[in-house]
Amino acid sequence: MSDNNSWAEQWFKAQQQFVDAWSDMAKTGGVGANASQSDLWAQSFDMWRKACEGKTQPDMEMAMRKCMDMGKEYFAMAEHISKNMAQGANPAEAINQWLEQMKQALQQFSGMPGFNGAGVSDFMKQWFTPNASWQEMVAGLTPMNQAMWQLPGMNTSVFNLGEMIDPLGKVLEAPGVGYFREPQEKQQKGMQLALEYQEANFRFNQAFLRVAMESIQGFQQRLLGQNGHNLPKSLRELYDLWVEISEEHYAEFAMGEEYQALYGDMVNRLMIMRRHYGEMTDDFLRSLNLPNTREIDTMQERLQQLRRDNFALKKELKEIRATLAQLTAKPAAAAKPAAAAKPAAAAKPEAAAKPEAAAKPAVAAKAAQPRKPAIKKAAAKKPAVKKAVAKKAKVTRAKAGA
Amino acid sequence: MSNIPFRSDQVVEELVQFNQNLSKGVKNLLDAEEISAGVTPREEIYAEDKLKLYRYQPSTGVVQNKIPTLIVYALVNRPYMADIQENRSTIKGLLDTGQDVYLIDWGYPDRADKYLTLDDYINGYIDRCVDVMRERHGVDKINILGICQGGVFSLCYTTLHQDKVKNLVTMVTPVDCKTPDNMLSHWVQQMDIDAIVDAMGNLPGEMLNWTFLNLKPFQLMGQKYVSMVDIISDEKNVKNFMRMEKWIFDSPDQAGEAFRQFIKDFYQQNKLVEGGLKIGEHDVDLKNLKTPVLNIFAEQDHLVPPAASQILPKLIGSKDYTELSFPGGHIGIYVSGKAQATVTPAISDWLNAR
Repeated sequence: MSDNNSWAEQWFKAQQQFVDAWSDMAKTGGVGANASQSDLWAQSFDMWRKACEGKTQPDMEMAMRKCMDMGKEYFAMAEHISKNMAQGANPAEAINQWLEQMKQALQQFSGMPGFNGAGVSDFMKQWFTPNASWQEMVAGLTPMNQAMWQLPGMNTSVFNLGEMIDPLGKVLEAPGVGYFREPQEKQQKGMQLALEYQEANFRFNQAFLRVAMESIQGFQQRLLGQNGHNLPKSLRELYDLWVEISEEHYAEFAMGEEYQALYGDMVNRLMIMRRHYGEMTDDFLRSLNLPNTREIDTMQERLQQLRRDNFALKKELKEIRATLAQLTAKPAAAAKPAAAAKPAAAAKPEAAAKPEAAAKPAVAAKAAQPRKPAIKKAAAKKPAVKKAVAKKAKVTRAKAGA
Repeated sequence: MSNIPFRSDQVVEELVQFNQNLSKGVKNLLDAEEISAGVTPREEIYAEDKLKLYRYQPSTGVVQNKIPTLIVYALVNRPYMADIQENRSTIKGLLDTGQDVYLIDWGYPDRADKYLTLDDYINGYIDRCVDVMRERHGVDKINILGICQGGVFSLCYTTLHQDKVKNLVTMVTPVDCKTPDNMLSHWVQQMDIDAIVDAMGNLPGEMLNWTFLNLKPFQLMGQKYVSMVDIISDEKNVKNFMRMEKWIFDSPDQAGEAFRQFIKDFYQQNKLVEGGLKIGEHDVDLKNLKTPVLNIFAEQDHLVPPAASQILPKLIGSKDYTELSFPGGHIGIYVSGKAQATVTPAISDWLNAR
């Protein structure tokens, strides 16, 4: 915590300077055209974040990281609009210029086969959060295989998939020869599947790019269509409206057939590729005489079936014991009617004569107790239940809090 | 657009305020202790594999319902959502209104659990927990409260074991998994579930997280954190926010075979509605369900749209059916103050009356 405090002090000092700088600008009417306060802000945050890594609870660190990332984008939005205003635009023009700038920035990626969401800067990055988090997740799920399926140049934002596939396709189609024919074919197949996954991923990203640009247009139209009513009165309101419109465009896209097909295809191709590399890894492990997934799966499946059988047998045994207890309890009760008054005392002499035999039924009878009388009780209750059901033969609808 | 009432000094003031809030919030985040999950005292009653059956300590001075209630939570996410903090606890609300509450905690399945099927979960784990409770309390039947996917399990279980269930409460339960407004369902229709399970073994929790967050990515991955800055200068808000955050990202892996069957049978083939559902060797036809049912759904639920739950009375054979709609979302139905004041007492009233 002492470390945290010293870093916190530094951070607060830096932040105070930052606040003072922005406050001065507020007094002088805006941000200078060349100033980049959001960059400064982001830098100070990044510096501080790196310093704090490992010094906070992991959950807190993650939340802080997200707050800062979002703060950075929020500041970038403010800076763009402020800059435009500082250059003489009225607020509406400043916002529109900002939206046009974002549209132009996105347009440069349109049609680029290798586009994967990387390289999009500032505020519109949020449109590619699904893609970025997808990449992050996939990398986390396939750490061993990345080198195999992340073909050279594929993780850059600008490589041209089309240019790459043609020559590579020829290599991948070359027939395998000789003793290592089979492993060679499997390698080729793996690379082919990797390419197919990457293509599916790019198609998904391109669709996102298109919808992101449509959302900007939708935002502009919404602002124009408000006719002075309900227009955002603050930066936060503007941001919230942007979120609302982006969600609307995204939802329409995500509920469409195109998304269903693109997303399904991307997931399926990833899984098919992963399964293939899993099988190759299994082959490799087998060659080293090490256990592989297939073998462990077989054992687990058998074990699970054994556990099911075991539970079924246990249940059956319990039922047999309960039945046995009833059968042994009934003749004893019939033979000694007086025992009904004092069953424990009456049982004693027998128990003394045959302690083991007497003890067992007693235990079994106890175990059976909740079952048998309970069933009788339920049977006795039946008419009442029926009556209740008849009375309540209705569907009741209510609204919480109404 | 020409009338946007923005002033440049106002923008700067807003940013300064934002930054000040963030600075204070950062300090609170730094000082915050590890977030605890689940607040009500409880006792472990039964354990099997990774499953634990808990009984919550009954509230004192309350007339207790003699029929205990078993909460069956979803396999997705963790059940402490129902007991997230002292003043936002569905479980505490149930205890305070006279219910004797048990809960199944499924734990975190790993590779050794890959071959667990829905039959193992429903006719195995749930059934054994129900038997433990029946024996402990000396009753034939208990009450079941199923939440979300746990509600689906509870519907199947109750249909197959009506001799053991007195009353069934389903909360935000997807019955019709193919309503037109169901984004989750829409996404999985073209997915090759066999390829996923074959490739991954168990379904990683990270994939579920990705899916849930991407239902509303701008709100859940962006706006939420911008809005957080407004509240984190208050230490108490930091804790509450972080509890939710912890829960959201606390997604257990899904046992492969159970996941395969769940998505194929319920989300792709909608068998609860279309028919043909089998759990193990047993046919599940909701028409055979005669148990009293209280069905609760949330009007703004983006995970289980209301229509997905509202179809239930058309499918079941029970003549004692009650429906409760809650004006909130999938999570708000457990954690909001409004839910504590309305939903939980309504559940208890309904159970106590039967």
